[in-house]
Amino acid sequence: MKAQLKSGFSWMLEWRLATIRNGMKDAIAYRGDFIVGLVGSAVVPVAIQLMLWNAVFKNNPESLFGGMSRSQLLAYTWTSLLFTQIRGGDYDFGLIEMIRTGTLSNYMLRPVGVVEFIFYQGIGEKLLTAGVCMCLGLVATFFTPMAVTNLILAILLAILGNIIHYLFGAALASVAFYWENAFAVLMVKNMVVSLLCGEVIPLTLVPEKWTFIWKSLPFYLYVFGPSQVALGIWDHRMWAIQMGIGCSWVLVFWILLKLSWGFSTKRYQGIGG
Amino acid sequence: MTRPAATPTAIEVRDVKRSFKSVKKEEGFRGTMKLLFHPEYVVHEALKGVSFQIPAGEFTGLIGANGAGKTTLLKILSGLIPPTSGTASVLGMNPFERTIEFRKQISIVMGQKAQLWWDLPAIEAFDLLRALYQIPRGVYRARLDELTSLLDVTKLLNTQIRRLSLGERMKMEVIGAILHLPKVIFLDEPTIGLDVLASQKLRHFLKIHNQKEGATIILTSHNMDDISELCRRIILIKEGTVLYDGEPDTLTRQDECQLRVKLHTEPTLSELALATGLPVEAVSSDDDDPTTYLLTCPRSRVAEYFQKLIAKFQVADIGIQEASLERVIQRIYQQ
Repeated sequence: MKAQLKSGFSWMLEWRLATIRNGMKDAIAYRGDFIVGLVGSAVVPVAIQLMLWNAVFKNNPESLFGGMSRSQLLAYTWTSLLFTQIRGGDYDFGLIEMIRTGTLSNYMLRPVGVVEFIFYQGIGEKLLTAGVCMCLGLVATFFTPMAVTNLILAILLAILGNIIHYLFGAALASVAFYWENAFAVLMVKNMVVSLLCGEVIPLTLVPEKWTFIWKSLPFYLYVFGPSQVALGIWDHRMWAIQMGIGCSWVLVFWILLKLSWGFSTKRYQGIGG
Repeated sequence: MTRPAATPTAIEVRDVKRSFKSVKKEEGFRGTMKLLFHPEYVVHEALKGVSFQIPAGEFTGLIGANGAGKTTLLKILSGLIPPTSGTASVLGMNPFERTIEFRKQISIVMGQKAQLWWDLPAIEAFDLLRALYQIPRGVYRARLDELTSLLDVTKLLNTQIRRLSLGERMKMEVIGAILHLPKVIFLDEPTIGLDVLASQKLRHFLKIHNQKEGATIILTSHNMDDISELCRRIILIKEGTVLYDGEPDTLTRQDECQLRVKLHTEPTLSELALATGLPVEAVSSDDDDPTTYLLTCPRSRVAEYFQKLIAKFQVADIGIQEASLERVIQRIYQQ
């Protein structure tokens, strides 16, 4: 009995690790694409923010905007960049494509949970990205007041954010079992998330009466939260609280995911010969 | 089909029906607008009450024209979709429950869909499958060596899947599907697009695997060489119903045979067809040898056509042979 349990546990761990490793290998099968994707996707958001803050502070460099000085906003812009790369993933788009074209069949017959399997494949790439971001962040600690501990804790929070993001996206992707083509749902979700996660602007700039919106959703844990931790604005106690909140969201979305996929896979048609 | 009573049943299908509902779109812009505001649905019955049993270890061919319902049936048996009504049981389990135990014991290969990871070498994909199916490393290594050498792909294990030829990729797909030694294997057109040599190699491999491991295999294919070489039993489906279930030989012997004729003269195929009223094909045209013609003829009227040929042509040699499976199936499709 004990041996059986041990073997069961070692299998549970082994297939997950093997899937993550495979995801990593898949991600860097084309090194050029991986590097361009990592660096290139950061250029436009950073350029927009830098232009925006320069325009805002042009006439009065010493003023405060949303309670933040120019240097604080610039520090946020550069720091948030690390976590913007870790969030995302968008494997939910892949799920919809698989449901639509019937390629989900390949995964449904494996002896492991299909959504979980696809997540581990996708997180492989994000863990690599997190590793690169960690290295970049460590370099930054030599030139900025950012503490190494804060950086590590912030990256952990960002990874938790990635898990929440996937669970939420995958639950939404189950709409494709009903509509077949549900990319628009995910695009709308991504636009909302982009605004409310803090990658476009720091959420401290949101008017006071609207703050309840981002505070009552988990998206701020993707970029804004980790940036606050990395910059030392949130202390370690606050980090622990946010990790707790994040874990609660994981539980909520995990239940939502189980329910939505439990019901909707009955409608799967496995289209295509 | 008779079988020893001791052989356990691996697959049992009872009155399985399956229908699909889809949107009906009328032609043109008007049709598109109508679809937007008032969609109309059509129900297509893919399976109309299919029943059969397959004993463990049997290699069965599932044949039928495009759209006959073969792939739908495989999807039901593998647990991808449920039947609309009726029951299906594989290894005593309900496929659609898709329990882990069930998924560990079955496998499906779809000739038109890649299941391995496109950008990774096959060896990486196989190693992941080893972890997924809990295959002990030593067993995995030995099994992989055996399978890759049987299919002659050992040297290609470190090549990206997408860089392999269609035949090589299909061999890798088959290895990936049987690495965990499933008890039931569904093969959906595994030789599609393969050249003669690759098809032959794959068929030989499947035959050996079936004999050695005793896996129950259902094969769908439009290539009658696959069916006649591998399957001891065929289930012929037409428009969602089973038309024939039995040995291939019984089907070919049913009501048609072929007259194999050598003539001293060399009439054209159309002249011969016109003179006899039978479909004719030429099978050899060696310069030193008279052409051999094959005339498909109803079994009950063989003597009559013999006389007709002898009366109209100078016959060098004449004999009877069974109609090919391909010819018989073709005739059934056309009816």
